Amino acid sequence: MKKKKHISLSTGVIYVILSAWALTTIYPIFWIILNSFKNRNEIVSNSFAIPTGDLFTLSNYKQAFERIGILGAYRNSIVISGIVAVAVVLFAGMASFALVRYHFKLKNVMMTAVLAGMMFPVFATIIPVFAMEASWGIVNTSSLWLSLVSVILPLIAGNLSFAIVILTGYMKGLPIELEEAAFMEGCGPFRIFFQVIVPLTKPSFATVMIFSFLWSYNDLFTQSFFLRTPKQYSITALLNMITAQQGTNYGLMAATVTLIVVPVIIVYIFLQKYIIKGMTAGAVKG
Amino acid sequence: MKKKVVSALLSTVMAATMIAGSASAGMGTVEAAGTEEFDTSMLTKAENPVELNVTTTFAGEDGNVKNFQDAVKAYEEATGNTINDMSGTANEAFKARVSADFQTGSESDVLFYFNGVDSNEFVEAGKVMSIDEIREKYPEYASNMDDGRMGASPVDGKNYSVPVNGYWEALFVNTTVLADCGIDVPGPDYTWEQFLADCETIKEKGYSPIAAALGSVPHYWWEYSIFNNDTPETHLNVPETVDDEAGKAWVAGLNDIKDLYDKGYFPENTLSALDEETIQLFMEDKAAFLVDGSWRVNGLATNCQSDPEDPSTLDTERLDKFAVTYFPAKDGRKATDVLGGLSEGYFISRNAWEDEEKQAAVVEFVNYMTSDAMVARFAQHTASALKAAPDVDKSQFNSLQLKSMEMMAGVTSFTAVVQDLVPQDCRTPMFDTGMPAIVSGDVTPEDAVQQSLDLMAEKAAQ
Amino acid sequence: MGANIYKNKKPLWIFLFPAFLFMAVYLYYPFLMNIYNSFQSITGLAHASKGLNSPWYSNYVKLFQDKAMRTAIVNTLIMMVVTIVGQVGVAIILALLVDNIKRGAKFFRTVYFFPIVISATALGLLFNLIFLYNKGMVNQFAELFGATKLIDWKDKSYALFTMMLPVMWQYVGFYFVILITGLNNISEELYEASSIDGASKFQRVRYITLPLLHNVICTCLVLAVTGALKVFDLPWIMFRSGMPNGATWLTGTYMYHQTMITGDIDYASTIAIVIVILGVIVSKIVNTIFKEKDY
Repeated sequence: MKKKKHISLSTGVIYVILSAWALTTIYPIFWIILNSFKNRNEIVSNSFAIPTGDLFTLSNYKQAFERIGILGAYRNSIVISGIVAVAVVLFAGMASFALVRYHFKLKNVMMTAVLAGMMFPVFATIIPVFAMEASWGIVNTSSLWLSLVSVILPLIAGNLSFAIVILTGYMKGLPIELEEAAFMEGCGPFRIFFQVIVPLTKPSFATVMIFSFLWSYNDLFTQSFFLRTPKQYSITALLNMITAQQGTNYGLMAATVTLIVVPVIIVYIFLQKYIIKGMTAGAVKG
Repeated sequence: MKKKVVSALLSTVMAATMIAGSASAGMGTVEAAGTEEFDTSMLTKAENPVELNVTTTFAGEDGNVKNFQDAVKAYEEATGNTINDMSGTANEAFKARVSADFQTGSESDVLFYFNGVDSNEFVEAGKVMSIDEIREKYPEYASNMDDGRMGASPVDGKNYSVPVNGYWEALFVNTTVLADCGIDVPGPDYTWEQFLADCETIKEKGYSPIAAALGSVPHYWWEYSIFNNDTPETHLNVPETVDDEAGKAWVAGLNDIKDLYDKGYFPENTLSALDEETIQLFMEDKAAFLVDGSWRVNGLATNCQSDPEDPSTLDTERLDKFAVTYFPAKDGRKATDVLGGLSEGYFISRNAWEDEEKQAAVVEFVNYMTSDAMVARFAQHTASALKAAPDVDKSQFNSLQLKSMEMMAGVTSFTAVVQDLVPQDCRTPMFDTGMPAIVSGDVTPEDAVQQSLDLMAEKAAQ
Repeated sequence: MGANIYKNKKPLWIFLFPAFLFMAVYLYYPFLMNIYNSFQSITGLAHASKGLNSPWYSNYVKLFQDKAMRTAIVNTLIMMVVTIVGQVGVAIILALLVDNIKRGAKFFRTVYFFPIVISATALGLLFNLIFLYNKGMVNQFAELFGATKLIDWKDKSYALFTMMLPVMWQYVGFYFVILITGLNNISEELYEASSIDGASKFQRVRYITLPLLHNVICTCLVLAVTGALKVFDLPWIMFRSGMPNGATWLTGTYMYHQTMITGDIDYASTIAIVIVILGVIVSKIVNTIFKEKDY
C-alpha cells in the first residue's frame, strides 16, 4: 500500500516536469500560428494576444498564396529533402558499418576526417562548390531538374558527417553474435550489412533520416544561393524571397513559417509511429 | 591619383529632376489594369525567340516588384522572348551570388545592379558593356537620359549602366509627438541648434527624440553628421589623414553623434536594439525623428495598411501623422542639400552582347525598361536621370508620397554618399561594430577614423 | 571470431567509397581551397585573389591580436559548457523520465521535437520579441510582479544569457531523440531481472541504463561541443555583429561577419580553419574522457 503511493507521487512529479518542458516547446508553434493571423504591426506591439475581432486577418495567407506558386515550392523541397535523406542514410550506413567493423590502418584518420567534415562552415565551402558546379554546367540553368541536382549533391555531402557520427556510435553497441551466426550460414559482408545490420539499426537510421530530411528542408543558405528562378524555388528559398531585409513583414513571415512547419510536423508524427513500430518489431536487445 | 579623379567626378553636384509617374507601385489601379497599361509599341515580335537571364534587385519587399514583374510579362507577350527572372533581395548573400556568377562566367544577360564600388570588379574585368560601346552600334541607346547623371563607374568615370529610380535620405518626423511637445514640423531652414533645442524639449516630455539603432544601422547618422561638417562640393573626398580637411569633418561628425548620445537623445537601448525595434518606437509615437532612405516611404505606408498588398486598406489618418523633411543643417551645408542619387542601373553583359542571337534582344529590353514612361512609373518621388520628366498626376499618391515630392521640389543639390567609397571591411571601426565603442567613449573618434584610414591604406598597398 | 568475418578487406573500400567520394568533392576539396585562401588577399566573397598576403602568414598573426576573436573563443568555450550541461544534461534527464512513463510518452516524444522543426529565422524573431526591451514578454511579466524599470535583456550584462538560453533550449529535443532511440534498444528483460534482484529505480539507472547508453551519450557530447563551435543562425538574428559592443561574438558568428559583411575572405578562411582544428581537438578530448567502448 505504502509503496504504491510512493510510486504514484514520483510519477506525478515526473509528469509535472515533462509537461513543463512540453509547454516551452509547444508554445512557440502556437505563438507563430497565432501571429500568422495578425496584421504585421500588431505582431510587435501586441504579439502575445489572441487574434480575435479586429486583430484577426487572413491577409498574410492570401499574400503567401498569391506569391509565385507555393505548391511548386513544396514539391521542390520534398524532392530535394527526400533524395538527400535516402542517400545520406544509405551512404552513411555503409561507411559507418565499415568504420565500426573493419580494422584498418587509415581508420583513425578517416574518423578524424569525418569529425572535421562536420565542422566546415557552409560559407567557407560554397564558392568553390559553386565554381565546380558551374564548370559542370548544372547551375544557373533554366532547367528545373539540373538545379535541383545542384543543391541535392552538396546537401548530401553536408549531412553525411553527422550521420556517420550518430550511426557509428549506435553500431558500436550492437552485439556481434548475430553477424557471426549469419557468417556461419555463409553470408558475405554485403548480405550481412543489408540483412543483419540494417534491420538492427533501423531506429537509428530513422533518426538520421528525419534529421537529414529536416536540415535539408530548412536549409536556407545553399538553396537561396543555387535556386534562382521562381519555378526552381524550394519552400525556404521562397520564404527568403518573401521576407526581405527592409522593414521585415512579420505577419507574412509567421504565415510562411506556419506553411513550412505544419507539413513537417505531420510527416514527423507519421514517421514517429513507424520508428516505434520498427523498434518493437526489431526485437534484438543488447 | 586615380582615386582623386573619381571622387572629384562623383562630387559633381547633381541637379534635381523631380518626376513622378502616372501610377505608383502597388496601386489598386495597376493591379486591375494588368499588363495593358504598358506601352509596348516600341517592341517587335522576335523572329527567333530567345531566352534571357535577367538578375535585378526588384524582389522581396522592394516597392517596384510588381511593376517589374508586370513590365516583364508585357515584354514577353509583345516579343515572344522568355525572361528568366533571377532577381533577389540586395543583401550580402545576393551580392556574393552576383559576384560568383561573374567569376564563373555564368553571369546573367541583363543585370539591374549597383553602379558604385559593388560593380567595380566586373567593370574592371570588362565583363559588362559601356554605354559608349553600345551606342556605336545602337546610337539611340539610353538617349533619353542625361549622360552626366547616369551614375558613372568609380573605376574609370564611364557610364556602364542605365538608371531607373534613385534614392534620397532625409529626416522623417512623427507629427503627433512634435505636436504634443509644441514643436512645428521643421522646414528648409532647420538648423542644428534648433534641432538640439527640440530634442531637449522632446526628451523632457518623456519621449525618445531620435529613433536610431546605433549598434546595428548607424549608416544614415554617420553620413549626414559628416555631411553637416563639410560641403556638397567636398563631401565625397575621402580623408588621407585625420588632420586633413575631410578627416576633420569625419571626426567632427562622429563627435556630433557622440554628443547626441551623451545628451540621451537616442533610445536607451540604441546600442543593443535592432533597426526594426527603433523604427517601431517611431511608428508607435514614442520617438520623434527618424533618419532614413526613400524606401522607408513605402515601408511606412504598407505598415499603415491592414493588408500590406492592398493600398486601398490604407489607414490614412495613421499615415498622415508622418512627415518628411530636411536634415538639420550646420555650418557649410544648407538643409536643402540632400544626400541621394541613382545607385543602380541596367547593365548588359559582354557575353550577351557577343551572342549574336541575343544582342538585339537585350538592347531592346533595356530600352524598353528605361523608356520615359517606365522610368516615371518606377521612380515616383525619387530622382531620375531623364532629360525631360513627364507630367505628374498627383491624385494617385498617398500623403507621405506627396510630402516627399514637396520636399524633393525644394532640394538645392544632391550628393552621393561617401560611405560607398569606403570598402566594407575598412568601415568597421566606425560602423556597426565601431559606433557603440565611439559613443560610449571606449575609442575616440580620432582613433576610430585613423583605424579606418589605416585599413584603407593597407588595402590600397596590396 | 568477429575478426574472421571482416578479415577480407576488399569489401571495406566499396562500403566507404560513396560517402567519402561525396565528402571529398564537396567538403575536403573546398576546404583545402580555404586553407590556400587563408594566405591570399581576397576582398569579397567570390572575388579573385589579389595575390599573396604580405607577409604570407599575416592572417595568423592577426588572429592572436584580434580582440573580437578572443571574445569569440571565450564565449564559445562558455557555450560548450552550456551545451554539455544544458542540452545533453537536460536531454538525458528528459529521456530517462519519458522512458519511465507509459501514458503520453508518444506525445512528449513528438512535442519535444518541435523546436528543431522551426527555422532559426522564426525562432530568432520569437526570442527577439520575448526579450524585447519595450514591453516584450519577459518585461511584461516583470512588470506584473512589481518591477518598475524595464530591463534591457540585450544589454552587456545580460547579453550572453539572453543569447545562450534559446540556443540551449532549441537543441535539447535533438539530443532527446537520439537518446530515446538508444534507450529503446535496452532490453526490457534486463530491467525485469534487476527489479527481481531488488534494485531501486535509481540503481537501475545508475548500473544498467547509463552504462548501456554510454556510446550514445558520447556521440551526443561530441555533437554538442562541435555544435557550439559553429552555432550561428539564432545568435546572429538576435545579436547581429556581436552587439552590444562586440560582447557576444561566437566563432560561428564572427566567421560569418568576416565573410558576408566585411568581405575579408582570407581572414574568414583563417577563422574557419581555427573552427575545424578546435572542433577536432575538443571531440578528441571528449572521446578520450568518455572512452567509447567497442565490442
